[in-house]
Amino acid sequence: MSDDDDIISKMIVLHSTFTLPSDLVIKIYESKADVTVKETCFGLIVEGRRSEVNRIASEIRNLDPNRIFIKERGVPPGSSNRCRASQGGGAKPGFHQHEIEFALLPYVTEALDEIEKGEMPEIKDVTPPHLTIEKFKDIIEKEVKESE
Amino acid sequence: MVKVFIYPSNSLILSDLVDRFGHEPLAMMQEIGKKIRTAGLDSPPINITPEDPKLGLKYAAVEVPAGVRGRMSLLGPLLEEAEAGIIVREPDISFGCMGCARTNELINFLVRAKKVPLLEMDYPKTEDEAKAFVHKIREFLDGLSGAQSGKGDE
Amino acid sequence: MAKENLVKIAQLSCGSEYSGIQKEIETAAAMVDAEIIFPEITIDDVKAVEERFGLQVASPDLKLMMARAQALVDGKTNADAVLIATCFRCAEAALVRNEMRRYIHENSKFPVISYSFTERTTAGTLLTRLEALTTTARRRSLLAREHQEGLTAGIDSGSTTTKAVIMQDDKVVGTGWVPTVKVMESATEALNNAMKEAGITRDAIQALGVTGYGRFLIGDEFKADLIQEEITVNSKGAVYLAGHQKGQATVIDIGGMDNKAISVQDGIPGMFTMGGICAGASGRFLEMTSKRLGVDITELGALAIKGMQEHVEMNSYCIVFGIQSLVNSLAKGSVPEDVAAAACYSVVEQVFEQQLQEVEVKEPLIMVGGSSLIEGVPKAMHDLLKIDVTVPPHSQYIGAVGAALLASGFINK
Repeated sequence: MSDDDDIISKMIVLHSTFTLPSDLVIKIYESKADVTVKETCFGLIVEGRRSEVNRIASEIRNLDPNRIFIKERGVPPGSSNRCRASQGGGAKPGFHQHEIEFALLPYVTEALDEIEKGEMPEIKDVTPPHLTIEKFKDIIEKEVKESE
Repeated sequence: MVKVFIYPSNSLILSDLVDRFGHEPLAMMQEIGKKIRTAGLDSPPINITPEDPKLGLKYAAVEVPAGVRGRMSLLGPLLEEAEAGIIVREPDISFGCMGCARTNELINFLVRAKKVPLLEMDYPKTEDEAKAFVHKIREFLDGLSGAQSGKGDE
Repeated sequence: MAKENLVKIAQLSCGSEYSGIQKEIETAAAMVDAEIIFPEITIDDVKAVEERFGLQVASPDLKLMMARAQALVDGKTNADAVLIATCFRCAEAALVRNEMRRYIHENSKFPVISYSFTERTTAGTLLTRLEALTTTARRRSLLAREHQEGLTAGIDSGSTTTKAVIMQDDKVVGTGWVPTVKVMESATEALNNAMKEAGITRDAIQALGVTGYGRFLIGDEFKADLIQEEITVNSKGAVYLAGHQKGQATVIDIGGMDNKAISVQDGIPGMFTMGGICAGASGRFLEMTSKRLGVDITELGALAIKGMQEHVEMNSYCIVFGIQSLVNSLAKGSVPEDVAAAACYSVVEQVFEQQLQEVEVKEPLIMVGGSSLIEGVPKAMHDLLKIDVTVPPHSQYIGAVGAALLASGFINK
C-alpha cells in the first residue's frame, strides 16, 4: 500500500519520567536522518520519507519501548491549517482526542511491562449482563410488598 | 504482517499496539496525510473537496449527509484493504475524524460484514480493565500471523 | 466595496471539513471582511456540557459544538458573531443546531445565523447570510436608526421585479416598480419613475441605498452610499413601516426566487432562514396560478379570500405538479376562488414547513414583499399559525424603503 518515498509524519508520544523530548531530538540529530523534527508538548513530530521516518521511529521506540507510543499523523508539523494560532485559539479536534488517550497511557505501559516480564493476568469480563425483565419484575414486586 | 483496521480509526493506542506487535494499522491519519499532501488540491484544512462526498456514494446513499459520505470516501478504501479489525465499543469521546456517530455506526457495520478476524471489546472503565485491554489486543494480534481468515474471537 | 473593520465569526459546526466546504465558508467570510475562529475549550468542558444542557447526543463533534457555544456565552471567546452549520439531513445535528442557536440568542448579544449545508454549498450561497451577520455585528448604530431624514432614495433590485422609492422626512413621496429585465436598465427605469412621481431630479437625492440580487452592480454604477443585503434591509423596513421598531417581531417575505423568515429584535435581525430550493414555495407559483385562472396577479388575492382551500386536493408542492393539481381541480368543477385559496395555502404551508420550523415565530408577524398584497397569502398564514398577520403600507416596496431609511444615516458623510 505504501510507497517508501511518500512523505509522512509520525507523532512520537512520550510518557516517561526519565526521557525528555529533547533527548529524543538529540538522538535523531545523531542519526543524521533526513527528517524534519518538531518538539511538542506530548513528544515529537517527525516528517520525512516513509522509510526514513519508520526507521527513526523504531530506533526511538527502542530507547524506552513501553513508554514511547507512535502513530502516523495526517497534518504535517507546523501546518497552518487547523492551527491554534490561526484560528482564534481553538485546537484542532485531534488535539482533544490526544488528550484523552494520553491519560490512558500509564495503564498501557503497565500492561506492556507485564507482557515483557511474561506475566499474564487473568482476564475476566466484569460487565454484568442486563437484568431480565422477569427478574426486574420480581424485584419490583418484592420491594413494593416490603414497603407496604 | 496483517493489515488491521482499527476503530476509533485515529487512536494512538490502537495504532501503536498494532504496529508494536508486528502488524500494519489501517488508520484515518494515513488517508488525511495523503489528502493534505496532494498537490493541486486547495480545500483547507484537510483538503477534502466537494468531490469526495460524491465518492462516498459508493458506501452511503445520497440521502446520507455529506459529512458522512466525505468521511466514508477516506475510510471506505481502508476498509476494503482490511484483513483483520479491532473495534472498541463505546470509546471515550473521539473527535475530528471520528466525530460523527453515523459514520462510526456505518464503519463498524462494514468491518463486521467483512467477516475478517475481529476483536471487539468495550472501552475500559477501570485500571484493571485498561490493562486487560492491552493483553487482549496482544493476544489477538499474536494469533493473526497464522490464520488470516474466518471469524475472530469476540 | 470599501474595506471594513474585521469581524470575528465564531464557527460552531459539525461536518464542514468532511463535506469539503470549509473553504467555501472561509472564502465567503473573507468577502465580507470577516474571519472564522473556533472557540477554545477544554476536554472537561466537553465532558460537562451534556449534563449542563441536558442534551445528550452520540456524535462527539456535536458535543464539541455545544462546548464551544458554552464558551461563547460564558464570554471566554473574543468573537463578534456566530455561524452555526451542520450537515443537511442529519437529524441529530439539526437538534443541536436549533438548540444552540436558541441558547446563544437568549443568553448573549451575539448575532447568530444557522445553516445546513451539502457538498454543493458554495461561498456564493453563504455570502448573503454572512453579509447580514457581519452587518449586524458591525453596524449596530446604523441599524438603530428609527427615522428617515432628508431626501433619500432606495432601490431593491430583485430577481423578478425592481422597486425604487423616494422618501422625505419619514414619508414615501415617490415609487417605481418594474419587472427586472436587465438589472441596470430596470433599476434606472424604476428610479426614474419614482423621481417623476416625487417631482425631483437625481441631484436632489442626498443619499442612496441599494439592496436585492443586483445590489453590487447597481450600487457601483449609481455610486450608492449603502449597498446592503436584503435580510438587514427588509427587517428594518418591515418594523419601520409596521410602526413596531421596538421589541420582537417576525418578518416573512415570500419573494420571486427565495423566501426569508426573519426573527427581529428591536429592528435587528436575529435568527433567519433563507429558502430558495423550490419554486413551488415562491411568488412564481402564485403568478402561474393567476395565469391559469386567467386573472391578473393583483386580483388573485381577492379571489382567494372568497375561496376555501380545503375544497381543492393538492397532491404536491411542486410548481409543475402542484399547478397540475389545480388544473385537474378546475376540470373536476372546482371554482376559481377555491383554487386561488389552495394556491396561497400551498405556498404558505411550504414556508411554514421548511422555514418557520427554524425561526421562532414572535408576534407581530409582519408579511412584506409583493406576495403579501395577495390577500389570500396573509390570510393563509393567519389560518395556519393562528396569529394576526400585519401587512404594512408600501409592503411591496419593503427593500427600497429599508434602503432609503438606512441611507439617511449617510447624509453629510
